[in-house]
Amino acid sequence: MAVTQANFRQRAEQLAAHLPPLLVAAERVAAVVAQGVHGRRRVGAGETFWQFRPYHPGDEVNRIDWRQTAKSTRVLVRENEWEAAESVWLWHDTSASMRFASHPAVEDKADRARLLLLALAVLLVRGGEHVALLGHDRRAATGRGTLARMTAALTRDDGPGASLPPRIPLPRYAQLVIIGDLLSPIEDIAATIRHFSGQKVRGHLFQILDPAEETLPFAGHTLFEGLEDEGVLLARRAEDLRRDYTRRMAAHRDAIAGLTRAARWRLGLHHTDQPAQAALLSLYMSMAGHASG
Amino acid sequence: MLSLGPLAFTAPWLLVALVAVPLLWWLLRVTPPAPLRVRFPAVRLLFGLVAPNETTAKTPPWLIALRLLLATLAIVALAHPLWRPQAPVIGTGALVLVIDDGWAAAPDWPLRQAALDGVLAHAERGDRPVLLLTTAPDDRDGKVAAKGMMGAAEARAVVRALAPKPWSVDRARAREALRDVTIAGAASVLWLSDGLEDGGSASLVSRLMELGPLTVQIAPPGPGPFVLLPPASRTRDLELVVRRLGDAGTSLSAWVRASGEDGRLLGRGEVVFAEGEDAASATLALPAELRNRIARLDIEDERSAAAAVLLDERWRRRPVGLVSGAPIERDQPLLSDVYFAHRALEPITTLRQAELAELLEDPPAVIVFGDVAKVPGPDRPALDVWLEAGGVLVRFAGPRFAEAADDLVPVTLRGGGRTIGGAMSWEKPARLLPFGDASPFFGLAIPKDVLVARQVLAEPNLDLPDKTWAQLEDGTSLVTAERRGQGWLILVHTTANTAWSNLALSGLFVEMLQRLIELSAGVPADGSGAPLPPLTVLDGFGVLGTPPSSAQPIAADAFAEATSSPASPPGYWGSKAGPRTLNLGPRVAETPALDALPDAAAVTTYGVVEERDLLPWLAAAAILLGLVELLASLLARGQLLRRASAVAAATLALLVLAAASAEAVDDAEILAAIDDLHLAYVMTGNPEVDRISAAGLFGLGTILRSRTSVEPADPIGIDLESDELVFFPMVYWPITLDQSELSDYARAKVDHYLRTGGILVLDTRDPEASLAGGARSGNLALRRLLAGLSIPPLIPVPPDHVLTRAFYLIDELPGRWIGDQVWIEQGDGGINDGVSSIVIGSHDWAAAWAMDARLQPLLPVVPGGERQREMAYRFGVNLVMYAATGNYKTDAVHVPAILERLGE
Repeated sequence: MAVTQANFRQRAEQLAAHLPPLLVAAERVAAVVAQGVHGRRRVGAGETFWQFRPYHPGDEVNRIDWRQTAKSTRVLVRENEWEAAESVWLWHDTSASMRFASHPAVEDKADRARLLLLALAVLLVRGGEHVALLGHDRRAATGRGTLARMTAALTRDDGPGASLPPRIPLPRYAQLVIIGDLLSPIEDIAATIRHFSGQKVRGHLFQILDPAEETLPFAGHTLFEGLEDEGVLLARRAEDLRRDYTRRMAAHRDAIAGLTRAARWRLGLHHTDQPAQAALLSLYMSMAGHASG
Repeated sequence: MLSLGPLAFTAPWLLVALVAVPLLWWLLRVTPPAPLRVRFPAVRLLFGLVAPNETTAKTPPWLIALRLLLATLAIVALAHPLWRPQAPVIGTGALVLVIDDGWAAAPDWPLRQAALDGVLAHAERGDRPVLLLTTAPDDRDGKVAAKGMMGAAEARAVVRALAPKPWSVDRARAREALRDVTIAGAASVLWLSDGLEDGGSASLVSRLMELGPLTVQIAPPGPGPFVLLPPASRTRDLELVVRRLGDAGTSLSAWVRASGEDGRLLGRGEVVFAEGEDAASATLALPAELRNRIARLDIEDERSAAAAVLLDERWRRRPVGLVSGAPIERDQPLLSDVYFAHRALEPITTLRQAELAELLEDPPAVIVFGDVAKVPGPDRPALDVWLEAGGVLVRFAGPRFAEAADDLVPVTLRGGGRTIGGAMSWEKPARLLPFGDASPFFGLAIPKDVLVARQVLAEPNLDLPDKTWAQLEDGTSLVTAERRGQGWLILVHTTANTAWSNLALSGLFVEMLQRLIELSAGVPADGSGAPLPPLTVLDGFGVLGTPPSSAQPIAADAFAEATSSPASPPGYWGSKAGPRTLNLGPRVAETPALDALPDAAAVTTYGVVEERDLLPWLAAAAILLGLVELLASLLARGQLLRRASAVAAATLALLVLAAASAEAVDDAEILAAIDDLHLAYVMTGNPEVDRISAAGLFGLGTILRSRTSVEPADPIGIDLESDELVFFPMVYWPITLDQSELSDYARAKVDHYLRTGGILVLDTRDPEASLAGGARSGNLALRRLLAGLSIPPLIPVPPDHVLTRAFYLIDELPGRWIGDQVWIEQGDGGINDGVSSIVIGSHDWAAAWAMDARLQPLLPVVPGGERQREMAYRFGVNLVMYAATGNYKTDAVHVPAILERLGE
């Protein structure tokens, strides 16, 4: 298990290495945005200069700004701004339907989702953001330790989970990334989006589909079975269903797209036969878009 | 058996199943193919969709046709069809089988037996009684006996045991044998004929046709059988004559091979039959030495007694040395004392004329002296030895001899010669008396005009008549002889040229010399009438073997006329020292072809048409069609591509069937093991232990690379049951409790590894389980695993053992633990030059050596300290050095003592 964990983490790191640190735009008040990227307007640990203040006994000597001290008669200490990071909550679909790959050469959806999730986490941590796994973590944190904990949580096999995230309260202005196949009934999806957007959470839905789910490439006498006990469907000629199916799939996606647009969320789409980098880039663009928007 | 023209079915009742084919058609038509199960996540989106074309899925007609064809093929194949079954369907009732089993049947005997077997198999199926008659006589009186009615199965066994005889068939006798045979009910007759006439076939045929309808099976037209004639004996080269008794229409060539007594091939000659010729000849020229070694001639690829000729002494050419008494006369050849002897001997022997000393260097079988008065003194001992050993010395008298003969003569001679009928005598030159029957010349005709004018005279003695082989009219000896050891000393009392006699001009001279030369190899000189017993004889195939019980000794005088028969089969006869041969060839060379048969007899040939069993072909076709059907039905269901793996598996299965015999030799693995030095460890099945073993050997390898010239490649984990051990100088074997015992095979392999110089390092990994510690669990596991291996007695490593000196000087042999004994094989000078083939310890060395990829130690050592780890590495280095160099460093153990001694 240790080995696979390391492998998995390594792959995610490799994937993330190709992109610059993702800086999540803080969706805060417009004024704050105007002031700078992340400044908390408070003294704290940070890189950006905040203020000089007179030296008090007890301050560390290396904090003294000798240049400013030399200009004046007082000994001045340099203080930096406390830069706080955005908290991003990540969630991926672990339901049975994700355990599907139409072809041995194609990664199954769950693995791809997990990989994307962790790659995104790596990018975010590298950008100094606080990340958390929705459903696992109480609060967002940053640093490589977080990544290690997250990796362990992701690689732990807890059995099939839910198709949609638990509707739990999140901090306001947090960002939420949901990765999954989004094949649940549209009402459930709508309820989920409503729940989170009501908490002023900005969301990114990222749909991962197997190519077979897009095109229904089956033909002949076929018995379709759901992976989550949805029931079975017997088709005399599976190829005859194809046209209606693709139409229905498109309608489903349009419905989700409508929901996300209404909530000012973003929707991404990824197929497992595409390289994971493309998906990560698309997610990255999506989140960066939020930053600018 | 059901026959439809050339097609027959062995199990025709199975064809009834063909009725079921239309039923199958109906079933196939109404039953759609089973659905393919697909697990599909987005099935929710599919619910409620109705395909516009929801008609019943019909199997395409061509697929139905394919399947029907497949079913038909399978049924027909199961009915076991035969194409042109070989066994002809012969009549009904009892079967009378007449089999020619003379020599002429031998060349294609297997075909004949196959044909017979087919016929009898058929008779067996028909449960018909069989009367068997073989036409070649098989007892000493030449009688032919029919083997009475028997079951076909029994007849089959009898026929399988039949073998052709090395003599001719006797059909007149065969008819005799059938005279009293009556068969109740219907009968049919099959005569398997050899196609040659013996004069009695017409009467036999008429008798056979009385018994029932006659079918005659003969060999397909061809040139055979071939007969090889014995070559004329008294020629320099062997004249090979081959006759063919069959079709003489085409030209063809045959090879005759000459082989020695040991069967070695000595020469081959090609005989070419011209078109229309039934005889062909060739000359086989061989060096005399080889020629004399020839024991037999065979026609190649013709297995029959008539195609083999055995050669006896008559064909041997014995080298003869000729010594002249007067070399000066060479320029007057007709006056030379050896000229006529030379001319007489040259065609029949290999002749060398030289000085005696030169001849004795490479002694010939016979030495002929011309008018030699005295044997040169220095040569005399050698000549005597040669004579005793079986040489034949023939001396001729002459003027020089008459004057001063030495004592190398068979009889005492009077001084001087005797002139008969010369100018000073009134006597006439004398003729020869007929040879006595004790003389080797017995039987030679004496020309009237042979006259002897001068001779040397023998002193009359009591034993003179016994020593005399030829006499003149007046009773004086002309040829006398005396046995000297194995050899003969022979004196001809007159000259070998025309000076004293005209004997040398006659043919008798040549014949007498020939007889004398024949003496040399121990051919019984006396043509006594003792019967010649059979020694080894040929069987029908021309293979030498022990004589049959029917063989009778042949009187010597009747031997030349003996024919091949049960009483006198061809082969070697007489005494072992000088056997004579009886050959079949001359007796049968003129056998004509079989007379025309009556029209009523059906004539067939055997062996032309191979029966062809169609079952394998039909079965193969059915399997192929089955595969096609599999592909086709997958195609029809649109799942060809999705089931590509299934199809690949089916194809693979077919390939595997085709290449079932291909061996799977994992050369790559072996090459990988021997490309470099690898440290090896035994995989225990416990992943954690195996990981530590690998890491430990990796760490040890790293240390070795950096400190020594041993540069091991990556460690290799081996499975004792399946992997080869011999490539590794040292195998590290951690003992775990749950290891399963070795199989006998693995145990033998480990034993072999230990015996051939391998070193096994056993590590119980637990100092609690030390060898000295009694029955602890690890110890027990060790005992269990090593049970059955030939482990020699063990001792703790002595303090000055080479294991502590091989590279580093160390006192302890620590691993992860420390303090326990390490055990090795007891004693020096053991099987592997005193190198212990086994090292047993409990220190868990691999754990101390174990490094990760960044060369950091993986596990702490106990009680601790990097010094202990360093000592563990040093022990590891010593261990590998010990494995690689054996006791090479043993001397180093004594270095202090040596240095001390040097210092003094």
